[in-house]
Amino acid sequence: MNKVKSAIITTLLIVAIAVLALFSTVSFPIVGNDAETLSSFISNIHLGSDLTGEAYSMLYPDGVISSADYENGVKINADDGKFKDNYSARGGVYVRKDKLENEEEFKASIIADAKVLNERFGRKGYSSYSVALEDGGFAIKVSVPTNYTFGEYINFVKYNEVPSSRSLINYTIQYFMLDGELSFRNSSTYEGSKSVLPSVNDKASDCFKDINLYSVAGNYFVRMIFTKEGLEKITSVVDADNKAYMFIGEHYLNDFDITVETLENVRNNTLSLAPSAGKSVAEDYATLFNTVINGKTLVNEYNGNPANSSNGIVSVTPALGSYAAIYLFVTLLAALAAVIIYSIIKYKKLGLVHTLMVLSYALSLICAVMLIEIQVTVAGAFTALLGLALLSFSNFRVFEAVRAESALGRTIQASVKSGYKKTLWTVLDLHIIMLVAALMFTLIGVGEVASCGLIFFISVIASYVLYWFTRFMWYVISSPVKDKFKFCGYKREAYDED
Amino acid sequence: MKTDFKLSSKMHLFIIISCVIIALGVAVGTICQFVANGYFNYGFDWSDYKCVTVSYTCVDFSDEKEVRKICDEAFASDGLKYYNCAYGDVTGDIVGGEFTFKFGKSVNDEKLASAVEKINAKIQSGASVHTVEGLKGNTKALWRGAVAIASVMAAHFIYFAIRYKLTMALGALLADVHNLAVFVSLLSLARIPVGSAIITFAVLTVLVTAVGTCFLFDRVRKNCKDENASKLSAFDLTDKSASESFKVNLFVPVVLCTVAVLLFVLMSISAMSVFTVLSPVLCALACFVSCAYGTLFFTPAVYSRFKLIGDDYKLKHARAKKEKLSK
Repeated sequence: MNKVKSAIITTLLIVAIAVLALFSTVSFPIVGNDAETLSSFISNIHLGSDLTGEAYSMLYPDGVISSADYENGVKINADDGKFKDNYSARGGVYVRKDKLENEEEFKASIIADAKVLNERFGRKGYSSYSVALEDGGFAIKVSVPTNYTFGEYINFVKYNEVPSSRSLINYTIQYFMLDGELSFRNSSTYEGSKSVLPSVNDKASDCFKDINLYSVAGNYFVRMIFTKEGLEKITSVVDADNKAYMFIGEHYLNDFDITVETLENVRNNTLSLAPSAGKSVAEDYATLFNTVINGKTLVNEYNGNPANSSNGIVSVTPALGSYAAIYLFVTLLAALAAVIIYSIIKYKKLGLVHTLMVLSYALSLICAVMLIEIQVTVAGAFTALLGLALLSFSNFRVFEAVRAESALGRTIQASVKSGYKKTLWTVLDLHIIMLVAALMFTLIGVGEVASCGLIFFISVIASYVLYWFTRFMWYVISSPVKDKFKFCGYKREAYDED
Repeated sequence: MKTDFKLSSKMHLFIIISCVIIALGVAVGTICQFVANGYFNYGFDWSDYKCVTVSYTCVDFSDEKEVRKICDEAFASDGLKYYNCAYGDVTGDIVGGEFTFKFGKSVNDEKLASAVEKINAKIQSGASVHTVEGLKGNTKALWRGAVAIASVMAAHFIYFAIRYKLTMALGALLADVHNLAVFVSLLSLARIPVGSAIITFAVLTVLVTAVGTCFLFDRVRKNCKDENASKLSAFDLTDKSASESFKVNLFVPVVLCTVAVLLFVLMSISAMSVFTVLSPVLCALACFVSCAYGTLFFTPAVYSRFKLIGDDYKLKHARAKKEKLSK
């Protein structure tokens, strides 16, 4: 390869890396729109609860209020002593006396509800979450990761701008705490409505074989698979004038009206309906319906008491500190710098080729994590580092193999060919095992394990592609160089004429 | 750096060390299961605790630091020390903030009540004491993670059995099981606060072990094919391979340990507390230390016996075949 070609390819690669690095790390104002900025790739990465904190909500069953609400209630109803007399203190909460008549049974029903909620939130695939019993089992505390992106989180910490993603958490909690059975009714108002199913013994849950989440081309649907008999029953009661309105307990779900038009879309007893608010809400509905048709319903109504003011979400600072994400980023940069410095010291200009690969690895990982919306945690960062170690090991191994070959008196070209041949299976075996492991963690694991598996899967593929790309760039960059041994930081062996 | 250790001759020593670590871990865990807070020292995201929540409205206080100062003074006057303080802003009907101060399960209720009274005297919206029990965390993530780890170990074994040798596959499986057992035992023995990150670090243990065994057994495989090295005894060949892969096998855990320590220092500054950062960092250190010990010392030492048995079997098999042919 001549000098010109080499220079063009090298320049193109460096420019591509520089542009990608710029877009990855710097946010730009959009020309002609001062209000908005084009966010950097890094600021669009979703972070786990250890880096951006978690959001929690207190769920108080009907008949239970917080001490603050009790104090308020006493003040408001000062003239009427009934309010004060109606409640009795239990830990940090106040319980209405009629609920205490059978206290153990009431507590058992809350524990059972906590288990159902745990199942519902468990299906959301959060990197971490908890459903805890508070105040002697009279209240439930639900904590989920905020899932803020880095940019959203920084704006939240600096300017107190509440990200829109928080409303999704609110929706999830609101849907998951719906109590009661599934029913099809003849009106969208619960009061005065009745079940549309032919017999009073017919249960809406029995009409379904399964309800799950289904996605096609980026659109998310709640897929309802009817039993043959169930579909017949619903078809028999729905006509041009009569719809079937879907309810969970007393709560009407307006995205799921069964009409003649919707029934026309039933294929193989399956009906797919898309809620208006996207993936998260579709997932919430699918989870809610699935648990309900499988008998996992909530017994108590939560946060429905007018005396209860606790319907808000509290998002708390992460345990690792408000700026944990920035410190993690600094640590990763330090690790990257260490690898680059080591490779340049040891392999001179060949180290620069490795540097280009390391930068390409980092940038490709940033882009992939941002595009696939993987939630990054501290453990996820360690997994990415392991991928970097894999790439560095593969390259250093081949550099050493080439060094050993060149020490035998071969030319650099011959040594490179032989070195790559000798390390081919070592590197391939290593990558195959890692790829299989990453795939298993992604497919079998849930939450943080799955996201770490996915990050590692991308890391392994990037590492193997860049391992071969190193060979190409080594050839391209070193082609015009006269002393190729000096380029690689190798010493040419001096041989006697004999 | 001297790396030519005679690991094969020290197999018994490494087995004893591993057994002692695992046995002590199991013993301490079992005792603590009955007399303390459980087999592991569950961290604040899994354990039962008491907490004081202090809510305030923006109308009363515009700066949360002011509220925290009042709370800190109240706790200090009653001699109470919380281990974690989380601040959150509240949306919904009340616009304001909420502090959650977490205390150990054994903290005196009367002292907490006294502190809360002092806080309530200064902050109108109120403070209250709560007990939080039986966090029903991500149990699904735990068992699915465990199944994933077991599957990866099985895949690791099968791949090594196909691509390498059965003895090496057994060595790899042993390394996985050993490193995982040492990791879990270290957590139990050192009473490292364990949280939901335990399963992720267990995953990292298996991944780092898989990388290490690849390096080690690749050297063994290459030496077996080498004309001179293949003439060495099973012990010498394993020692030679372990020495050759020592640096690279040390490199990965040491780098990850260094990153963990660096993170610990930076996160401690970020969190203004060592305790909350301690749990994930110690988990990471336990993971990488068990990987380094298992892959550098234990696995080559035990594998040398596997190789010896394998070579003997092969020799006997070859002899028997030869005799059969000669007859």
